[in-house]
Amino acid sequence: MIVKLFSAFFATLFFSIIFNISKYELIYCGISGFLGWLSYLLTFNLTSSVVFAAFIGALMISLYSRLLAKIRKTPVTIFSISGMIPLVPGAGMYKTVYYIIEEDYALSTHYGIESLQIAGAIAIAIILVSSFSLFQFKRS
Amino acid sequence: MNYKLLFKYAMLTGEIMLKNGAETYRVEDTIIRILKTSQFMVTEAFVTLTGLFATLDDPTIDMITYVKRVNERTIHMNKVSQANDISRKFCAGTLPLEQAYQQLLIVQNMPAYPKPIRLLATCLTAGFFTLVFGGRVNDFITATIIGLALGLLQIGLNKIHATRFFIDLIGGALIAACAFILTQYIPIGMDMNVIIIGSIMPLVPGVAITNAVRDTIQGDLVSGLSRAVEAFMIASAIAIGVGSVLKIFYLVYGGSFS
Repeated sequence: MIVKLFSAFFATLFFSIIFNISKYELIYCGISGFLGWLSYLLTFNLTSSVVFAAFIGALMISLYSRLLAKIRKTPVTIFSISGMIPLVPGAGMYKTVYYIIEEDYALSTHYGIESLQIAGAIAIAIILVSSFSLFQFKRS
Repeated sequence: MNYKLLFKYAMLTGEIMLKNGAETYRVEDTIIRILKTSQFMVTEAFVTLTGLFATLDDPTIDMITYVKRVNERTIHMNKVSQANDISRKFCAGTLPLEQAYQQLLIVQNMPAYPKPIRLLATCLTAGFFTLVFGGRVNDFITATIIGLALGLLQIGLNKIHATRFFIDLIGGALIAACAFILTQYIPIGMDMNVIIIGSIMPLVPGVAITNAVRDTIQGDLVSGLSRAVEAFMIASAIAIGVGSVLKIFYLVYGGSFS
């Protein structure tokens, strides 16, 4: 598990370079991926639900990105988009189409629906956090 | 106030942000905020994934409407961040219009990371994702080598301006071929499926499909739909590449699909 967490850190960090994120923010992007994957794995071990685990992971990343965006004075997206990379259903999308080519429609549907659920869960987590902090911002 | 320059500045900001991977609602919001500093009656912006439209109107001026088609989109978050920063300073009134426009022109030509660094990043992304998905050290090394091949292929194909679909197709095929050959001829107990899944991570459209759902929930139906189509096309390209190569290899070497 520790190996997986540190791999998530480095995977996120190097993916941020592909996204051309400024070099001063790279390390924070890595931490974002680390935190997201940590909460994902913990939730997955507790509930064994991929979708719920992705939701919690995305929630953590969004909160962390909000906080860091305030401190580092950069857009939230920089930290959230990179941190989400291990969570987002890229492999799921691939498997969906792969099994269509394989003519295994049952597996394809399974992965397709799962990918949409994960994407939906992550999107809801992002929107949830952004609407909450909008509320806080207006009150203060 | 030089409202034509203001309009030009707003459109350039929008274009830079959209081209480099900002969300559509953020682009709309930024354009409208910049235009609103003119205090004119009508300020409208409509942004989709493939183009942007904006209008500025007031009884005192002739109406300006501007359409900008955005053909190629890459992800360059640093440009988005910088453009956002400049527009924020401008809207707060701390940066005069001419200077903001000049700074934006510099941002427009900001370089990406140098190629060797991008190549290294692609390698290590592939390698570390293999570990994230449960691979072992053998798999990590193999995926890193495949990532290097993928990075070189991307640089080569980008040089001849190949389309994204083609790059992903060939990339998927290359990954599958390398993974198959390496696991076949260097039998040190590697898991081909994990290597393939890890190595395609630099290509897969995970962020696109997540943004698609997010845009749809927020009511940007046009952007949501186009992002979903984009994600599906990228996934198809990779899967066709991987799938056809594996099929050919299984035909030649025997064995079955797992």
